[in-house]
Amino acid sequence: MFRVVFGLVMLVSVVRFWLLGWIEDQYISPVFHFKYYGFEWVEPLNAVEMYLIFLVMGISALGIMLGAFYRLSSIVFFLAFTYVELLDKAYYLNHYYFVSITAFLLTLVPAHRYFSVDVWRNPELECAEVPRWTIDLFKLQLAIVYIFAGIAKINSEWLLNAMPLRLWLRAQDALPLIGWAMPYDLTAYLFSWAGMLYDCTIVFFLMWKPTRALAYLAVIGFHVITGMMFPIGVFPIVMIGATTIFFSENFHKKTIDLLRSAFGKIFPKPLATSTLKLYTTRFQPILLGVLLIHFVLQLLIPFRFLLYPQNEWWNPTEFFWNEQGYRFSWRVMLVEKAGTAIFYVKDTQTGREGVVDNREFLNPTQEKQMSFQPDMILEFAHFLKRHYAAKGVHNPEVRAEVYATMNGRLGKLLIDPSVNLANEREGFHDKSWILPFHEQPALSKVKE
Amino acid sequence: MKRLTLKLTVSAACLALAFVSFNCKDTLTDTPSDTFNRKAMLENVADNIIIPSFAELQTKVNALNSAVNAFVQTPNETTLQASRAAWEEAYLSWQYASGFNFGPAQTSIGTLFQRAGIFPVNASQIESFVASRTFNNDLSRDTRGFNAIEYLLYDAVSVSEVLGKFSNQNRRDYLLTITAELKATVDTVVNGWQSYRAEFVSNVGTDIGSSTSILFNEFVMDFESIKNFKLGVPLGRRPGQTQPEPARVEAFYSGKSIRLMREHLKAVEELYYGIGRNGVDGVGFVEYLQSVPNGRALIEQTEAQLAVVKTRLNALPSDARLSELIVSNFALVDALHTELQRHTRFFKSEMASLLSLTITFSSGDGD
Repeated sequence: MFRVVFGLVMLVSVVRFWLLGWIEDQYISPVFHFKYYGFEWVEPLNAVEMYLIFLVMGISALGIMLGAFYRLSSIVFFLAFTYVELLDKAYYLNHYYFVSITAFLLTLVPAHRYFSVDVWRNPELECAEVPRWTIDLFKLQLAIVYIFAGIAKINSEWLLNAMPLRLWLRAQDALPLIGWAMPYDLTAYLFSWAGMLYDCTIVFFLMWKPTRALAYLAVIGFHVITGMMFPIGVFPIVMIGATTIFFSENFHKKTIDLLRSAFGKIFPKPLATSTLKLYTTRFQPILLGVLLIHFVLQLLIPFRFLLYPQNEWWNPTEFFWNEQGYRFSWRVMLVEKAGTAIFYVKDTQTGREGVVDNREFLNPTQEKQMSFQPDMILEFAHFLKRHYAAKGVHNPEVRAEVYATMNGRLGKLLIDPSVNLANEREGFHDKSWILPFHEQPALSKVKE
Repeated sequence: MKRLTLKLTVSAACLALAFVSFNCKDTLTDTPSDTFNRKAMLENVADNIIIPSFAELQTKVNALNSAVNAFVQTPNETTLQASRAAWEEAYLSWQYASGFNFGPAQTSIGTLFQRAGIFPVNASQIESFVASRTFNNDLSRDTRGFNAIEYLLYDAVSVSEVLGKFSNQNRRDYLLTITAELKATVDTVVNGWQSYRAEFVSNVGTDIGSSTSILFNEFVMDFESIKNFKLGVPLGRRPGQTQPEPARVEAFYSGKSIRLMREHLKAVEELYYGIGRNGVDGVGFVEYLQSVPNGRALIEQTEAQLAVVKTRLNALPSDARLSELIVSNFALVDALHTELQRHTRFFKSEMASLLSLTITFSSGDGD
C-alpha cells in the first residue's frame, strides 16, 4: 500500500514538474548550477537527455506503484531522482531529500511481494508476511523527519518571537475561513507552538492505536493548511500519503481489498492466506547492517551544526545566519531570510572593477537562494572568476557585497565585502569570511 | 475507498472549523498590531497610478503620431521641431508607464517594454531596414519604439541634415510605420486595462501570480533597470567592459537622458508611496510596510538612502548630455550608480522579506 501511494505521488510529481516547464527552467536553461560539496562532478545532460531522465523517472515511479519489475524500478527511480536533485542545490527542498531517502529504503525491501504485477507474473513471489523491520524502517525514517523538524523549532526565534510565522501568516489574510485571524500576533504564536508540538509528538500518536485515527486527521489538517499557505508543492501530499504506513496491517489489507473490488477483475485474487509464506532473505544481515549505518547517520547529521563554535541551539541567530550545517536536517520553513548580493569583479592588472548582473547567469530561484546562503555565494564567486578569466579579465578578484535580512530584522552585511572570494576554499571548515551576526564592521570598507 | 475519502474530507473540514473557533475565542480580546487592506492598495495603484499613467501615455503618443504624420506630409523645420517636442513629451510620460509590464502589457509578442522601450537602438540595422523597406521585422526590438523614433528625428547634427535625410520616401514610411505601431501597442494596453482592472484588484493574495506579487516584482525590476541599463552599461560597470560606453545611454541622440531619468525615479518613488498621478497620496507599499513588524524601521532606512540617491541625481546638471557627462565627469555619474546600488536591497530583498513576497522575474528585460 505504501508502495502504491508513494509510486502514485511520485508519478504525479514528475508529471507536474514536466507540465510546469520546470525541467526547462531549472535544468536546461541555466548556464550555471550550484553543486553540492563533493558532488561537483554531477553535470546536467542536454535537453533531450534531461527529458528522457524525467521520462524514465516517471516510468519507474509507475513501476513502483504497480509493483512491476519492482527491484529494477525502485533502483532506477532512486538513481534518477537523486541524480536530478544533485544537479543544483538552489532547488534543495527537505521533501526532495525525504523522497530520495525513501526511494533508497524502498530498494532494500520486498514491497512487491503482494498486490503487484510481479506477483501476477510470477505467483511464486507472493508473500503474506514480511519481517517487521521492512515496515518499521519507514516508520523510523518518518519519525526522524518529524521529530527533527520539531526539535529544530525548539529555539528562541520560533517559540519566543513567533518568527518567521509572524511575517508569513500576515501575508495569508486572504485565505478562506481562517484568513481574518492571520494578522494577529497571537495567531502566529499559536501556530508556532502548535507546529512544534505537532512535529515532536505526531509520530507517537500515530503509533499508538487508540489515538491513531485522530492523529491521522491532524496530519491531514496540518498538511492541508500549510499546503494552502505556503508554496511547498507536493510536500503535503507526500506526507499525508507516507504516514499511512502507521496504520495496521489490517487497514492496508482492507484498502487493497477495496481497490480490488473497485477495479473488478483487473487484479488477480491473492492465494489463500494459509498457503502464503513468510518473506525471508539470506541478505538480511547485510541489509540490516546497511540500515544501521543509514540510521546512525540520520541521527547524527542534523546535529553537525553544533560542531561550529559560534552555533547555539536555543539562540539560533548565528546558526541561521551562517547556515553552516543547515541542510539535510529537516529544518522545514524555519527561517525567513533574503538577501541582495552584488558581485564586483576586478581585473588585477588594469585595476578596473565591474559590477555583475546576476541574472545574466542565474534564474530567479537561483539568484534568490544564492543571495543569502554563504556557500552558494562562494560557489558563484568561483564561477565568476572562471567566467571572466576566460573572457580575458586578468586574474579576476571577486568581492561580494551581500546584505541579508533574517526574520524581519533590518539588513546586515552577511560576508566580508573586502575578501577576495576567488581565493577562498569550499568545505566544512569554519569560514572566516562569513561575518558574525552580532557584530558589524564599520561600513567604510564598502566600495569607495 | 470512496467512503474513506469522504470520511476523511469531512473530518478535515471539522478539524479546520475547530481550529477556527479555537482561534476565534483567543483572538477576541486581541487586536492586530496593524491590519492592511491589500485591495485598497491595488485599487489605488490601478485607479490613480497605472490607469492614469497609461491614459496620459496614450494621449501623448497620439499627439506624437499626429505630429509625425504632419512632419512626413510636409517635412520642414517647424514640423520636425513639433515632432521632437511631441516625442519628448510622450517619452517623459513613458517613464511612468514602463514598469507595468503585466496583464494587457504582456503579450505573446513581448512585453510593452520590449516593444516600446528598448535602448540603445541598432542604428545600422534601422538604416538597412529603411534601405530595404523592411517594416515588419518582429524580432528586431532595437529597431522600433521610442528610441528608434528618436534616432530618426535626431540622428544628425543639424536640422537641415535631418530634413535632408527625410527627402527619402523609405525613411518617411519607416518613421510612420514604427510610430503607428507604437500607437497601436499603447492603445491595446489601455483598452486591455478596462477589463483587466477587475481581475487586478480582486486578486488580493500574496502568492506567486497575485497582483501584489506581480506589482512588486515589476517595481523592483523597473527600479533596477535605471541602475543597470540607464547607468551601469554606459558607465562601463559591467565586468568585462573595458571602458565606459556613453553611446549606450537612453535617449542618446536627443541628449535628454538626465531629464528622463529624473522622471523615471520620480515614478518609482510615487509608486512606493502610493502617490497618484493627481498628486494625492494614497495607499502604497509604504502603508503596507507600516503594517508589518519592523516595517517602520525599514521605511526610515529606505527614505534615508532614497534621499542620498536624489541628492546624487540632482547633482547632475539638467541641461547636460549624460553621454558627455560620463566622459567629462565620470565620478559624478558613477556616484549616482553607487548609491542606486546601495539602495537595491531596501526595495528588493528587505521589502520582499518583510512582506513575504517572492521575487520572481518572469523574463530578463532590458538590454
